Amino acid sequence: MCSEFAFALRGVGAEVGNGFALRDVSFELPTGYVMGLIGANGAGKTTTIRCLLGMRGFDTGEIDLLGHRVPGPIALRQDIGVVLDHTYLVGDWRLAEVERTLRPFYDRWDGDRYRQLLAEFGLDMRAKVKDLSRGMAMKLMIAVALSHRARLLVFDEPTSGLDPVARNELVGIIGDFLLDEGHSVLFSTHITSDLDRIGDYLTLIHGGRVVRTGPKDEILDAYRVVRGGPEDLSGLIGVELIGLRRTAAGAEALVRTEEATLLGGDVLVEAPTLEEIAIHIGSPPMKAAATQYGRSGATT
Amino acid sequence: MSAVARMTVLHLRTVAPYRTQGLLVLGLLLLVLARNPDHVVPALAVLLAPLIAVHPFVVADKAGLETLYAVLPLPRRTVLLGHYAWALASFVATVTAGTVPALLLTQAEGVPFGGRTLATMLTLAWVLFAVNIAIQFPLLIRFGYARISVLGTTMPLALVMLAVYRLHLTIASIQAWLPLVWVAGAAAIVTSAVLAAHAPRPRE
Amino acid sequence: MRVVLSNSSGVPLYQQIKEQIGAAILSGELAENSALPSVRALARDLRISIITTNRAYTELAAEGFIATVPGKGAYVLPLDSALVREQLLRQVEDGMQTALDAARRAGLDREELIQILDGLMRAEHEHA
Repeated sequence: MCSEFAFALRGVGAEVGNGFALRDVSFELPTGYVMGLIGANGAGKTTTIRCLLGMRGFDTGEIDLLGHRVPGPIALRQDIGVVLDHTYLVGDWRLAEVERTLRPFYDRWDGDRYRQLLAEFGLDMRAKVKDLSRGMAMKLMIAVALSHRARLLVFDEPTSGLDPVARNELVGIIGDFLLDEGHSVLFSTHITSDLDRIGDYLTLIHGGRVVRTGPKDEILDAYRVVRGGPEDLSGLIGVELIGLRRTAAGAEALVRTEEATLLGGDVLVEAPTLEEIAIHIGSPPMKAAATQYGRSGATT
Repeated sequence: MSAVARMTVLHLRTVAPYRTQGLLVLGLLLLVLARNPDHVVPALAVLLAPLIAVHPFVVADKAGLETLYAVLPLPRRTVLLGHYAWALASFVATVTAGTVPALLLTQAEGVPFGGRTLATMLTLAWVLFAVNIAIQFPLLIRFGYARISVLGTTMPLALVMLAVYRLHLTIASIQAWLPLVWVAGAAAIVTSAVLAAHAPRPRE
Repeated sequence: MRVVLSNSSGVPLYQQIKEQIGAAILSGELAENSALPSVRALARDLRISIITTNRAYTELAAEGFIATVPGKGAYVLPLDSALVREQLLRQVEDGMQTALDAARRAGLDREELIQILDGLMRAEHEHA
């Protein structure tokens, strides 16, 4: 029942179209933890999630999900809750109807828990789906997932369009969910605040490729942000300047920690925040490749 | 409850919020056809039943139910069969709802109805509906309502009309072949379902 | 139990948790055998990652402050265990080193330092 990994992707490749594709995507999440899938819009987050959940096919590689090779038995979906940045329910359903409609499909549906969660989240059984705010709609989808006793919650862009109070509530809900050691969470986001504190593992994705994956602290340790004057950070050998930004006042880039020692003494070398890592990895290289990356925009 | 039955109930719940519109169309058609009550059943099968059968696709496009179908623990085949099961249910419900007032109205108007005439009308209703659905559904399942909308929903009807006109079909000519026409309608639906099941899966 | 985390202190979060729980145990605020929340419950309450919280608990356990029960939680170990004594000795050494550094700059010799220590101990004794 309990496998070591909630999921593992190995060498997944998927042609999406418009020149965009996932290439050799590999990462895994041990059971019982939270992973953040971080990347800019169009980096491939949603496509990756759709491959993971068996909602679309992929061309190469393999995916294990809750101990089954994807596409596993259909009953696997009993264990998975999917929360998107929008609902996928009929707008004219009342929340009581949502339960009546979904309950027959789930073996472990718990009506008491659904009602209790709605009350806890401040949702009215008589409200209609279309009248819910973004935050409330997300809480409804979480209530559905928890009511059918999902073991893995997958959020796609849960925080986009949420106000800070709702984002904070989400962090609390995820914390409650993870009290059970058999529960795991994957969320994708381009907003790195709020949720980076609770993230155990991170996967940075850019242009359909995994840039880095692993425990959060290791990733934070793996990079340094460097800042210097307008003339600094040029002509360096053996140092890759990731997402270099040069202005009249100065230059800033991300470098790998082991390469930071090769920089001269005049530049400021600091531990980066997650946001700085995401920004530098996600920003197109300064000149040449800008158009190439532009093409892959919004195709996830 | 079997998975297909559960899916049919899901469709019922999907269209349930819009039942008033359906009843309005039914009322309007009955009003218009009050003078020709013997045509009520085929008229409903051509105009109202496909509307109800297709409605889950309309709502699905708006509400993103394709995602729901992909998240629910249901094989793709069940989702597909559920669409056809819902279409058949729409037909049975519409025709039942039409036969009763048709019988009452013909009685009131003194039009001879029942027996052979009723059987002919039901057969006509079935084949018109079946051909319509057989053409529309694989397109709807493959592309969704938004992308085929007007063309996809009117084309089958136009084809049927054209066939009737070109083949000089009359009620009398159909009457001789009633069982065969039923089988033809059923065959069309089955072929359609098989086609839909084997169509390449949409990439996205 | 009281854990207050600072986001701007520059001290890693696990270190802050470890130091605060360790201090509470040494001061007796957390008595022997008292239960600590589970790693997951503490992570939820502090809104930090499970790995971070787990690291703090693991290090506290390695230093002999607490014992963890898999799947349950953790409880405070008796203070007189050898590891804790070692920990305390290290604190004494650290404190004395600080005192020595200051004494060197102030130009105090060994005699004067011992006088200060005697004075402090006498004052503490009288207070008690």
